[in-house]
Amino acid sequence: MLKSELDKLLSSCMFLIDRCVSSQELEQAKVATLGKNGRVTLMLKGLKDMEIDQRRELGAQINSIKEQVLQRLVQKFEELSAREMETRLSSEFVDISMPARDTYRDGRLHPITKVHEEILEIFANYGFRFVDGPDIDDEYNNFTAVNIPEHHPARTMHDTFYVNLLADDQGRKLLRTHTTAVENRALRLHGAPSRFFTIGRVFRSDYDATHTPMFTQIEGVVVDKDVGFAHLKWLLTDFLRKFFNTDTVNLRIRPSFFPFTEPSIEVDIAYSQHKGKITLGSGENWMEICGGGVLHPTVLQSADIDSQLYRGMAFGFGLERLTSLKYGVPDLRGYFESDERWRKVFGFHGFTR
Amino acid sequence: MRFSFNWLKRHLDTQSSIHDIAQKLINIGLEVEEVVDSEAIFSKYRIVKITEVGQHPNADRLHICTAIDGTGKEYHIVCGATNVREGMKAVLAMEGAYVPGSDITLKRSKIRGVVSEGMLCSYAEVSLPEQNDGIIDLDQAVDLNEHVSTVLGFDGGILDVAITPNRGDCMSVRGIARDLAAAGVGKLLDISHTDCKPTCDFPLDISLDNIESFLNYMPMLALRVVKNVKNGESPVWLKNALSIAGINSVSLLVDLANWYMIDTGRPLHIYDLDKINGAFGIRYASRGEKFIDLKGKQHELRSDMLISADSKSPLCVLGVIGGDGIACSDDTTNILIESAYFNPSAISKTGNFLNIVSDARARFERGIDKESCISGLDGITSLIQEYCSGDASEIFTLGSSPSDSNVITLHYDKLISISNCPIEWADAICILKGLGLTVCKESDKSVTFRIPSWRSDLLIEEDLIEEVLRIYGLDKVPDIPLKMNYSAHGRGEHKEKLQINLKRLLVSRGLSEIVSYPFIKKDWADAVRENKKLIYVVNPINSDMNTMRPSLIPSLLSASLRSLNFGDSCATIFECGHVFYDDAVQQTHVSGIRVGNALERHWLNKVREWDVFDVKGDLEAMLHYCGVEKMRVEASAPSYYHPSRSGTFICGRKTLGYFGELHPRINQLFSINQRIMCFELIAEEVLSFEKKQMAFHSKIFPSITRDFSFLFAETASIGDIVNGIYSLDSIVSNVIVFDCFNIGEGKKSIGISVIFNALDRTLNEDEANNLSAKIVQYVASCGGELRSK
Repeated sequence: MLKSELDKLLSSCMFLIDRCVSSQELEQAKVATLGKNGRVTLMLKGLKDMEIDQRRELGAQINSIKEQVLQRLVQKFEELSAREMETRLSSEFVDISMPARDTYRDGRLHPITKVHEEILEIFANYGFRFVDGPDIDDEYNNFTAVNIPEHHPARTMHDTFYVNLLADDQGRKLLRTHTTAVENRALRLHGAPSRFFTIGRVFRSDYDATHTPMFTQIEGVVVDKDVGFAHLKWLLTDFLRKFFNTDTVNLRIRPSFFPFTEPSIEVDIAYSQHKGKITLGSGENWMEICGGGVLHPTVLQSADIDSQLYRGMAFGFGLERLTSLKYGVPDLRGYFESDERWRKVFGFHGFTR
Repeated sequence: MRFSFNWLKRHLDTQSSIHDIAQKLINIGLEVEEVVDSEAIFSKYRIVKITEVGQHPNADRLHICTAIDGTGKEYHIVCGATNVREGMKAVLAMEGAYVPGSDITLKRSKIRGVVSEGMLCSYAEVSLPEQNDGIIDLDQAVDLNEHVSTVLGFDGGILDVAITPNRGDCMSVRGIARDLAAAGVGKLLDISHTDCKPTCDFPLDISLDNIESFLNYMPMLALRVVKNVKNGESPVWLKNALSIAGINSVSLLVDLANWYMIDTGRPLHIYDLDKINGAFGIRYASRGEKFIDLKGKQHELRSDMLISADSKSPLCVLGVIGGDGIACSDDTTNILIESAYFNPSAISKTGNFLNIVSDARARFERGIDKESCISGLDGITSLIQEYCSGDASEIFTLGSSPSDSNVITLHYDKLISISNCPIEWADAICILKGLGLTVCKESDKSVTFRIPSWRSDLLIEEDLIEEVLRIYGLDKVPDIPLKMNYSAHGRGEHKEKLQINLKRLLVSRGLSEIVSYPFIKKDWADAVRENKKLIYVVNPINSDMNTMRPSLIPSLLSASLRSLNFGDSCATIFECGHVFYDDAVQQTHVSGIRVGNALERHWLNKVREWDVFDVKGDLEAMLHYCGVEKMRVEASAPSYYHPSRSGTFICGRKTLGYFGELHPRINQLFSINQRIMCFELIAEEVLSFEKKQMAFHSKIFPSITRDFSFLFAETASIGDIVNGIYSLDSIVSNVIVFDCFNIGEGKKSIGISVIFNALDRTLNEDEANNLSAKIVQYVASCGGELRSK
């Protein structure tokens, strides 16, 4: 066989491959060259009729051609696939600046719930038991049992809402004015020693720029033999440190008056205000944040607890004020106005810890 | 209690500044609401005389004034007031002065191109009640060298102290001075009035019936007549003192009595003697008796109110308020002074019922000095004689001052164990003595004290401990960690946590939480009342807040309406709160509303409105979360729901909650046009369910899926049929309704896909075929006809 014939074979195969513009055409070219009846294959088949010497020599040459063709095929395949991939990708263009799919409405948790949960956690960790009481309570639990006798000026200061249910031996039915109303029930139930807390809504007939007829209180009591002011001071300070997540809580404790505690205190927290932003810990301003004291012996006695033997330390916070300080909610009324815009700013996503 | 610093200094010899005094008051439990350090505020103010008023070159309404102060220094000031004139004496705030009324500090500035060296002030700008339009126009007699603070009547500065209900004794300047002296910031000064010598017998007929019946209400009464007094206008110092206290000047006699009350805490009442008709009597009012108070307001009295009266009508509701008819006027010449001690709770009750808040009531109900009837009468008499002259009569008395003067024993051990402070025993005793307590009996570790007549709030040992502690200083209490006690850790709050998690679940489903008031409009409550008895607030804030809600739906609707009115395309909100009905039943509900478009208009969204199956899903998700498994849905709900588009979840005999579209009459009531979807979960019914742990199977076998298409009557309950298929065989692992459409003629086509899966083996075709046949047979028994498989 002539060398020119072999050259022709090679160049014709290469031509078939090179002219391909798609992987489909290339597949055909592969069949036409290396396939069962392809040019190179036929040529190789023709070898069997030849002399052994010629067969060997020519065989080596044709096999070399086969190798070259195969290599070109692979190379061309890669080239075409890359081009085709590129074409496909560019044809699959989307405008990624279009707005994203909006399958979900965005829900918000009320900040009161968020803070409720935080406080629940802290007091549970102190070993306090959560107790509960009804919103509609009676004069005995709300006033008499916690040492606010009838016709005491402190009773009128509470601006109580009464409801039209029949009065019984516990007095008229009312919307509790403070969470202190749970104390008698809880003291009777858990006795001494015990420690418990509650978080709940309270109601007062007061409605102006700084008052709402409903707000939320947190109340806690420790009844034990050897508890004193120093323990209460530590507890309040430690709670505030945990709640505000800071080591620098600066408190001012002032004497005050509550009928159910004697001695009574009020606690102010130091803060500074810069451009409307409140920073806790230092500063010249004081904000009232908590009340408390030693439970009046009458309160223990009305729950049949020996007031000679046991002492109760009690404290109360306003939940909305704590929330406002921690999360910058500006005014009390917003909490209960159910405004979508307010929720977007002060509400919490479901996944916030 | 609002009073001037100089008034306090009448009773307290002190070198402390007004700020130090304020700080001390806070430390000892007398809350200071306001401090006006007028000496400091007005240090950059001058009294000036205006010598020249010219026109501002660039502004028609402005003047350029020249003024001189006491040193002869000249100022050029731009002023816009219309009352500015030559020769006027005015108040000038100089550069750097703080202007309290407008909360600014003056800087040197040009006004329309002319430099102004300060500002001529109006009353409002110095935080005083307006007395004339424009700038302050002072009396010509005012000396230019006087301090502005003095001229404006600030009298050394002002303190406003909030008095807690237990401290009746501190509703007086004297009482506050006494506390301060005990706290070591000065010395309490003796104030003695010149003795008043009676010059005649008590001249008045007193008519008293049944004295015993009112001695509990009024244990003691003292009366005196003073004749030939000269009433008139009060001197400036007196008007000023009362103005600071927030009391209007009436006439000299009335003003003196008011001043004396604030000074000593002893309220007194002065009658114009000549206006009393016939005998002066003390009696209980008759029921419904009419009385007009000195402010002209008419009251109806009750038979448990003690009054003074003449032969014609009530004169005064004792201890609370005087009457219109016997008040002193400028020409009053003869007076009757009443000084009494009342049972605090009687006054509180009467005042409360009449809804009268008076300075006298505030003191009597907190408890005044029990032994001040006679001394108070003498004190006011000498004051009246000093300013109005007059001839005093002998004193008429009735009853006696309550002699139950209290003794209390303080034990050192108890003081230490409550306070946790290293208080020296001698210091504690010294503090109590400083407050006026006297030692009756002293032993090593305890002292018995006699309580002074003005401290009716001190009743038990703890009261004395509070007294020691507040004067000693609460800031000295150390911190001692509470001993941890984990026995109750994590107990009782399970229900709270579950509720919070339910809220988070709803938030994750796109609902937002609201918190609203439990009292709503009666119409709204009626609309969702069903057969419940409503509870009403007897004394609501307004009639829109007078009914306790029996359901959370009205609150949610009102909040939704608010959002929709703001232009939002939808409202998706929920509340977890209490509902109230019948005999004080309180239930916790978790209820929500979806109204409007389910998704925002968006190029990828198909806009649709929320429907019943959105809220069914909300309720179902909560029930599943709480571990409720065997529940069923009944096609019924309260009557405020759409009767054909609502349902109730029931488990056993418990109703767990409702869902559905609201009845169109509710839409009408709230003026909401869109269909409203809502759900209500009765939390108490589900909080007790235990969530069961699901079994985990580590080996899995391939499942087989078969699809069916059935024809049903339009009203068939497919949910029940799905439940039925589940219970056919334990290898039915999932039943999916993938298609549902009405084909007319009262028929609907339902596509159901059933997945078979066994936990222990690979299923074979025969098993699947057998079960499929069973399903077809079962569905046929429920009225479903197989269309294709």
